[in-house]
Amino acid sequence: MAFILSNIVSKTCVKSLEDKLLALSISASGTQIRERHIMNPPPRLRNPTWFTKKHRVVHNDEITTDNQEFVKEVVQDKYSNKDESPLLSEIAANAAEWQPTFKRTGVIARKIGIYPIWMKDGTKMTTTLLQVLDNHVIKYYTPEEYENSQPNKTRVMKKKGCLLLGAEGTDPSLLTKEYCGLFKNSGVIPKKFLARFFVSPDAALPPGTPINALHFQVGNFVDVRGKTIDRGFQGVMKRHGFKGMPASHGVTKTHRRGGNIGGGGEKARVWPGTKMPGHMGNRYRVLKGLKIWRINTKYNVLYVSGQNVPGDTNSIVTIYDTILPLRKPSNPVPFPTYLNTDEIHEEDLYDDDVHQFCDPTIEYNET
Amino acid sequence: MLMNSGILNGSRSVSNGLKYFHTSSCCREIQKMTKLRVVDNSEIGKRAMAEGKPPKCIHVYNKTGIGKIGDKVLVAIKGEKKKGILVGLKQNQKTKVPKFDSNNLVLIDESGTPVGTRIHVPIPTILRTILKEKTQSKGADYTKILAIASKFV
Amino acid sequence: MLSFISKKSNSIASNTRNFLRHSTSSQALKPTEEVNSSNNKPKDGRKSYAEFRHIYPEFLPDPKIEFRNSIREKLERSDMIARRTLIDIPEFYVGTIMAVTVSDKHTPGKPLRFVGICIKREGCGLRSTFILRNVVDHQGVEVMYELYDPTIQKIEVLRLEKRLDDELLYLRDSLSEFSTFDSNMEAEILAEGTPVPVNPIKVQLKPRPWLERWERKNLKGVEKIDLPEKFFKRAAELAKPYEKYDLMKQYMGTIPEEEQNEIFAEIQSQLHKLEVTRKKMKRKRTFVKPTKLA
Repeated sequence: MAFILSNIVSKTCVKSLEDKLLALSISASGTQIRERHIMNPPPRLRNPTWFTKKHRVVHNDEITTDNQEFVKEVVQDKYSNKDESPLLSEIAANAAEWQPTFKRTGVIARKIGIYPIWMKDGTKMTTTLLQVLDNHVIKYYTPEEYENSQPNKTRVMKKKGCLLLGAEGTDPSLLTKEYCGLFKNSGVIPKKFLARFFVSPDAALPPGTPINALHFQVGNFVDVRGKTIDRGFQGVMKRHGFKGMPASHGVTKTHRRGGNIGGGGEKARVWPGTKMPGHMGNRYRVLKGLKIWRINTKYNVLYVSGQNVPGDTNSIVTIYDTILPLRKPSNPVPFPTYLNTDEIHEEDLYDDDVHQFCDPTIEYNET
Repeated sequence: MLMNSGILNGSRSVSNGLKYFHTSSCCREIQKMTKLRVVDNSEIGKRAMAEGKPPKCIHVYNKTGIGKIGDKVLVAIKGEKKKGILVGLKQNQKTKVPKFDSNNLVLIDESGTPVGTRIHVPIPTILRTILKEKTQSKGADYTKILAIASKFV
Repeated sequence: MLSFISKKSNSIASNTRNFLRHSTSSQALKPTEEVNSSNNKPKDGRKSYAEFRHIYPEFLPDPKIEFRNSIREKLERSDMIARRTLIDIPEFYVGTIMAVTVSDKHTPGKPLRFVGICIKREGCGLRSTFILRNVVDHQGVEVMYELYDPTIQKIEVLRLEKRLDDELLYLRDSLSEFSTFDSNMEAEILAEGTPVPVNPIKVQLKPRPWLERWERKNLKGVEKIDLPEKFFKRAAELAKPYEKYDLMKQYMGTIPEEEQNEIFAEIQSQLHKLEVTRKKMKRKRTFVKPTKLA
């Protein structure tokens, strides 16, 4: 890494020198040198620092059961010390007051299925169940730190820090050393899934802070980002909802084809963005503005409206506070996250409009 | 009765039982040319059904052109054009809304008053809400149909 | 903190065991039922899990593996139990004559009661539904209800019986007398402990056209169908008699027996409590019922 950096630095130095020389030469000789000018250079992508090889190649070492147990013990000893986890009361005391402009962290969750609920007026509604996994803060990058690691800096007006969250603890002996190293300072067991969330610097959390379903409140709106179901290479009828062509009336060999893809004359070419057959699904999509109707505090499950959250059942999604301006919360939300672990909650928290299954049967009275 | 119901299914069966053929598949949707069943006791409706010439839908007064429960339709009945309200469908319905074995129609005149004086089949209660809404939006009073219904399901 | 390691190895072991499991469809189970009933039968005269799966089929999740998640299923079951403690959802089958009372939004203050024969029962969990059919004023009417709809006030079983088929959708194409039931029918009470009777009635179909090709469905509850020979020839061509030997299909379409036992073991104490209260209510009803004769 350092080598590449120095390389870049040296390159830029050389370039500036060349520029100076060129300027001199122009003033001296007056000849014009044209060079190819790229309007929008493609961004030089650099992987984030946590993007390392995750899984170790596991060899069949034929370890005896005694040794296996010993490995387990070592792992347990290493990750069982809870002294390093931050004091939640301390974070709560230092936290700033919530303001509508602040951006909180999101959470990593698993889509666990679809389920009907009934409103108090008897109407039925479909909800998606999102189970918030054992989220822990792994690392926080201040806006400056995060910006420095970005190659092509553009001027950012509202600076956001980057919070790295991990979910679902796993067996560290299956992971690479570098990947496990990411979790070193947070004091949590290495996690299967990582996700970054851009937060206001006031909403930053120290590494090791747990986040649960009560980070969100019943009645709030969320955006859910997930990877859509991979449908492979599909035709235009399935991929873009084209009508296809008639089944009969002399039509041959073109029943599910897209037909014409461009005009003549001035625009005699295939225009960029023309809808054509291709790979469908397996890309990240965000479904915005879903209301939380119910929260199960025992299993950390959010019941959000809709049955079209991207992804399969049992796939990983990330949940954010909504960015839709009219659905943003007006009342204070747990900030920077829900930290009061002593408070005892009912198992299920419901929205006011939702009919609970333990409520008496709905009856309509004459008014 | 048997033959009658065969006709109601939008088809024609030859009664000797040797040949079975039908002219169209069982129409689950109300669209143009769908055969309907008049279920009130209006003179014209009774005669049309008795003669085995059930009315045909020739227009559906909504934007989709597909008749749903409570929609107004124009029918051709005994060489006349009449308006009617759909009061029961063969189509699959939502939960708790009844689905019938025939597509039922009640004839009305221009102002929404039913032509007959009695409906001799059960009527879904959801019509109470639908017809009330339509009365308010369309101006004509359709709720008189509810008054001549004999039974609700 | 580290329990996941042992859990993982356990689950792998159980997975391999599942491949060797017994098939659980109702036909294939019969020989093994007696063997298992001694193991599964909970103490103090409670029902065995093998009985549970017929009485409470909607407690078993959708066998489609893509849709399964143990936590969702658990939450769903707890909601179902919560609803069942409020209203009595009795044991019923396809072919049972039932009455359902719902509070209707369109006629406030006046609940609707519909009597009919259950012609279909499907879905699992909170999505389970059933269809009732009756002929009212010479007009066939069908209503679909959701079992856990909170607007349902009462579900009564008027005559508990089974028919020869798993679905009675052919009643739509049969003569109307076979699906006509009196709406003022009184509930027939079966003696306790008697098995659910099977009604061997054979239904007469109307002449074609039909909604489906019933001659291809291998229906047991239908009288001999009067059709030309070519229809039966075609039906024989399309028949799939080998499907019952398709073990993989059975495997994909059913919940393994161990899992069924796990599910019912979790909820059986609550179900037993509900059954006890139902029995009490039944006794009360039989005692109070006035026998007024004109």
